[in-house]
Amino acid sequence: MSQEVIEQVATYLTPNVPITPISQGAEAVVFTTNVHPYNASACKTADGIPVKYIIKYRPPKKYRHPSIDKTLTKHRTLSESRILAKLSQVPGLHVPRLIACDVYNGCIWIEFIGEDLPQNHGFSNLKNFLWMHKSDPYNTAIQEVLFKVGEQIGLLHWNDYCHGDLTTSNLVLHQKDSDWIPYLIDFGLGSASTLVEDKGVDLYVLERAIISTHSRFADKYNEWILMGFKSVYEKEGKKGQQKLKDIIRRFEEVRLRGRKRSMLG
Amino acid sequence: MFCESIPQFGTHEVYVSLFRDVKNMEELRSKVGTMPYAVIDASCICCREQLFSAVYKALIEWKYNRLRTKTLNSECILSLSPTSNIGEAFKRFGIKEGTKNIVCLAVVEKGETQTPGLFNAVDGEEIEFTDENLSSMLDLEMIKKVC
Ligand SMILES: Nc1ncnc2c1ncn2[C@@H]1O[C@H](COP(=O)(O)O)[C@@H](O)[C@H]1O
Repeated sequence: MSQEVIEQVATYLTPNVPITPISQGAEAVVFTTNVHPYNASACKTADGIPVKYIIKYRPPKKYRHPSIDKTLTKHRTLSESRILAKLSQVPGLHVPRLIACDVYNGCIWIEFIGEDLPQNHGFSNLKNFLWMHKSDPYNTAIQEVLFKVGEQIGLLHWNDYCHGDLTTSNLVLHQKDSDWIPYLIDFGLGSASTLVEDKGVDLYVLERAIISTHSRFADKYNEWILMGFKSVYEKEGKKGQQKLKDIIRRFEEVRLRGRKRSMLG
Repeated sequence: MFCESIPQFGTHEVYVSLFRDVKNMEELRSKVGTMPYAVIDASCICCREQLFSAVYKALIEWKYNRLRTKTLNSECILSLSPTSNIGEAFKRFGIKEGTKNIVCLAVVEKGETQTPGLFNAVDGEEIEFTDENLSSMLDLEMIKKVC
């Protein structure tokens, strides 16, 4: 990760907030810290274990005009924060809580979700979780997790939000009483949307992600996800059924378009 | 009095006191604009986290010269409010007809203010600023309506 960016953030946060870089994307760099931005009592759990927080920072882009850059950063930071805040209020939907936000500097603090998987299987996102089980790919634990993943996306869409970048790294599993609960993270490309197209694309992007990383088991995996997705709409009576039909039809169209595109190269 | 600082803003200190059954509410109300601290209706504050997230937000606005009110203290009241309407924020979170318990809040630069006796003008029983005490004074319906 660029030393320059790390120094920018470290200066901004002051030495009172020590940070550890964990990821760099095209849009943002992500750090962890044990310091809560404004609630000193929330730095440790009741058992004295340090609590981790995520700091997501959008560094200025040198190739953009400074004032345009500022406006864009502010806009995107605000948009991601608003979506997170709204989604936290949807019953049953799991997203990390928004803790603080500095739109002028492109910085947001979010609750840290997930943990390290056993035996060096890496961070508990869906991708690593599926790899961890590759010797027993169809066990019921996986089926349950994938069904719940589908439910989360169903809830998101039913409430007229789209994720915009549904990869298996953006689904993080949080362990609770030996169950794995999927959380949706990274709403940098998220939006409030009533469009079936956006929803169809969300489903297609995730399907592709599953196919490309877990191709041998992908059919079953995608089927389980879709079962979870459908279950949310089917609970919503006639209106739900109709909307579900529209989304699935569009999903199939998007898939077909995708095939054509790849045939053409 | 409860004192804490915000990690990112080591230059400042935050002082908070919680008062129950305040007797000179009318007097405070008439002086609110000139006092070196914010006076907040305790029935709108459910926990420390809520108050301090507003302090954090106000300090961010201050840092970028974006204060929308006259002082850092009044900016904290505005930051408590989900909307950016200043009048509405003061009406909701400030003291009003029927206010009994208050939270006094001062965000000051280190060493700039005589802090002992800062809230002496308040004639009420000071109790510890804890989530438990706050929740005993809370008007939950009101909070749900606003936020
Ligand atoms: N709330 C979170 N909890 C845990 N890890 C996160 C969180 N947000 C982001 N990350 C990690 O940082 C990476 C990049 O974040 P993002 O740019 O939001 O996609 C993710 O793939 C995660 O590994």
